[in-house]
Amino acid sequence: MKILAIETTGKYGSAAVIDETGLIFSAASNEEMNHLKGMMSLIDEALSEAGIKKSELTHIAASVGPGSFTGIRIGVVTARVMAQMLDLPCVSVSSLEAMAERVLDAAVSAGSLYVVPVINARRHQTYAGVWEAEFTSDYEKKTLCPVMEEKQYMIEDLLDALSARITEKEAEASGRVQSLKAMLGNAVYFTGDGIDAYEEMIRNSLPEGLYVFAGEDLRYQHAESVARIALRKAVSGDTLTYSGLMPEYMRLAEAEQRLRAGTLSDRIRKPVKL
Amino acid sequence: MKDGRFLTLGIETSCDETAASVVADGRFVMSNVISSQIDIHTAYGGVVPEIASRKHLECINDVIGKALDDACVSAGEIDLIGVTYGPGLVGALLIGVAAAKAMAYACDIPLVGVNHMHGHIAANYLEHKDLEPPFMALIVSGGHTEIVNVPEYNKCEKLGGTRDDAAGEAFDKVARVIGLGYPGGPKIDRAAKEGDRESIAFKRVYLEQGSLDFSFSGLKTQALNYLNQERQAGREINVDNVAASFQEAVVEVIADKAVMAAEKYGQKRIVMAGGVASNSRLRTLMEEKAGEKGIDVLKPSPVLCTDNGAMIASAAYYAYRAGAKPDLELDAVPGLEF
Repeated sequence: MKILAIETTGKYGSAAVIDETGLIFSAASNEEMNHLKGMMSLIDEALSEAGIKKSELTHIAASVGPGSFTGIRIGVVTARVMAQMLDLPCVSVSSLEAMAERVLDAAVSAGSLYVVPVINARRHQTYAGVWEAEFTSDYEKKTLCPVMEEKQYMIEDLLDALSARITEKEAEASGRVQSLKAMLGNAVYFTGDGIDAYEEMIRNSLPEGLYVFAGEDLRYQHAESVARIALRKAVSGDTLTYSGLMPEYMRLAEAEQRLRAGTLSDRIRKPVKL
Repeated sequence: MKDGRFLTLGIETSCDETAASVVADGRFVMSNVISSQIDIHTAYGGVVPEIASRKHLECINDVIGKALDDACVSAGEIDLIGVTYGPGLVGALLIGVAAAKAMAYACDIPLVGVNHMHGHIAANYLEHKDLEPPFMALIVSGGHTEIVNVPEYNKCEKLGGTRDDAAGEAFDKVARVIGLGYPGGPKIDRAAKEGDRESIAFKRVYLEQGSLDFSFSGLKTQALNYLNQERQAGREINVDNVAASFQEAVVEVIADKAVMAAEKYGQKRIVMAGGVASNSRLRTLMEEKAGEKGIDVLKPSPVLCTDNGAMIASAAYYAYRAGAKPDLELDAVPGLEF
């Protein structure tokens, strides 16, 4: 199994190649929003680093969003057309899940219970999801279990929901644990460019010491974690044909929102009646 | 390569048409697939860029696949890929460019970027198999109104263009105010056939003496003023007459200037291109006015006037033959000049 994974939903594009043993090679751009121009070179670089010819690939995976609409499309189109031409199946990976995957080790080391990737969607909007970090029975492997749906949240609503969860945990523990902080220290592990946009709001709404921010080295989307999730999905047969690989925008186009809400400008919708 | 013929795949997504085509030897259309989004955008009264981009993504694989199937060739038989990289809507352009690059990389095919406007001119190479430069080109579309001197393949000298609205834009705007709706071009063309083109005196805007530039934004104001004045006077408005008179004011100026340019540069042929080149009145008037001066007018059939992949393939073929370097780092350039 040799999977090519593409990640273009954030500021920096990247490509990675993973084999069935989990060995990964990747290449990332250090130029912002250079996805269209740079993508083929990144793919070529990742493949040659791995010593894999494109004819040896078995799957094409893409991070399908949420994120920058334009970025999502570049990655998805590239994956779809490569899969069509090389006659390969596709694997669809959520950008948020891949971001959570990327920080899982760091979150567990920090003692965090919740991993929360937050993508800035401007004007207090975010795309986010909440995962609980769990150890499997052998205490060796760590896994992520989704506890809040991946969708568009107002940052205030997301923080309220997280506060409520912490309060709930606190109640569960009351009487048994002396110090809340001892039990829930670093409970929430934030990652993503939502930190850059909403750091102050997070600091103002959650108790100090109950959250951690991912370092900048791990904070943004990267194809390596897309590849790791893609490998698990491919092994379990969770694949698609190229035409089934679709973007996950999580938001309608603005004009479509207005059309559905009936607030599209009348001048545009109805021609002048004579 | 198939049967000794050089095969070019052309991909076009600069506005609201997802298109791909296979062209042999730069001249022979083997397939021409166009998936139009016009029905979707009609609900919004015009092209919505974000929706166009989303739709292109959904269609692009099937359009390319059908272009190959219709031509009875496999991707491996394609010798060259050409793709529009500008001008156009950036989000729309990048779907075609990303798809072209992925295919070029996956199948080891050279890729060249094509200027959409050069593509419109190249549509004439597909229609008129013996046509070779030099000639004068007139490009009229929703986004462009341009007079271009073409001394040789891939060499375009822009002599004049619109200073405000493109001809197609003026058609859309006036169609909206007289209630014909979007898309304005074909609707006005149809209504004008029933109307009297001399019934309303719309001003012809020629600008300075000898200028090959255009200005159409004033016509919309004139149309609005006319409608208000008639309404206030309590007179019934004849939409067909407004359409015919307005159209005449646009196409007469275009035809005069195109012929003037051809004479000035000693060109014996004018080739028409772009969506508005399908306008029936413009076609007739061009022939009349050019004919008086002994100048031939060539025009592509309507299917080659709209945005299509075949014209991009043809332009790519001539660019490649002239030594254009294949480029996997191609970027979209929404404001690409001639």
